[in-house]
Amino acid sequence: MKRIFALFAALLLTVTAFAQNGKSIYQKYSEAENVSAVYISPAMFRLIGKIPNIEVDENSVNLSPLIRSLSGMYIINSENQSINASLRSDVERFIKTGSYELLMEAKNDGEVVQMYTMGTEKTVTGFVMLAVDGEEVTFISLDGQMPRDEVERVMIEAVK
Amino acid sequence: MKTLEDIENLSIEELEQQAVRAAAPVPDGLQERLRQTLAAREIAEAARPRPTRWIPYASLAVAAAAAAIIALPQRGPKDTFDDPRLAYAEVEKAFRTISDKMNSGLDIAREAGAAAEIPQNVLNKIQTK
Repeated sequence: MKRIFALFAALLLTVTAFAQNGKSIYQKYSEAENVSAVYISPAMFRLIGKIPNIEVDENSVNLSPLIRSLSGMYIINSENQSINASLRSDVERFIKTGSYELLMEAKNDGEVVQMYTMGTEKTVTGFVMLAVDGEEVTFISLDGQMPRDEVERVMIEAVK
Repeated sequence: MKTLEDIENLSIEELEQQAVRAAAPVPDGLQERLRQTLAAREIAEAARPRPTRWIPYASLAVAAAAAAIIALPQRGPKDTFDDPRLAYAEVEKAFRTISDKMNSGLDIAREAGAAAEIPQNVLNKIQTK
């Protein structure tokens, strides 16, 4: 009986550990004070994809080709000191439990930027960015079936 | 010695009589040994610790909680925007933020590269002298 109990407890712990994802992080912190949060659902991405002519001005990046491959976006921007440490550790746990690979990490004068991707050589199925700048923590999580070339093109264009 | 045919011709009663007559004798003290063995087993059963009463209930509660987490549909968050154009603008902003952060990382890498070139330049100057 003890073994069964231990087994169920282990199962429960495993389930809760796997439950840590972009959505759970969003739901945990989006209502907190000094936090701005954005969620775009798969349905909204489908709607965006149906907009016939998205106006893109000269200084903007044309995301239309990439939009169709996105299925969810979570953004948490926190300036709340009391939750920043917890937010960071939750994101780090989320990265560890998923099969994310480090894309880029930069540290400078207390500013930390980490970017991770998940997927194959040709397709990005998940992208996570964690940026810590002084008292501000930004978490961006993108889900979808994004062609890696397209993601790189968009980033290079935006940097220009 | 009876043949197989003789045995097949016997009635059930005759077979029973044959079996009783041919029964092996009971060894001496078998009954007593059996009694002792059964008594020892009963004592061992009584000595084995019984599971605490709450364990089955706790297991059930844990199983129910696990099943609820797995089976119940997870309610998703609400969309921040109702207008797809506003949502598009926000996606664009997010990509710009990502690019800006990436750019700052590249700047650090460039600075580090420039710093790494200084000793090499000094060495080159020394060699040319």
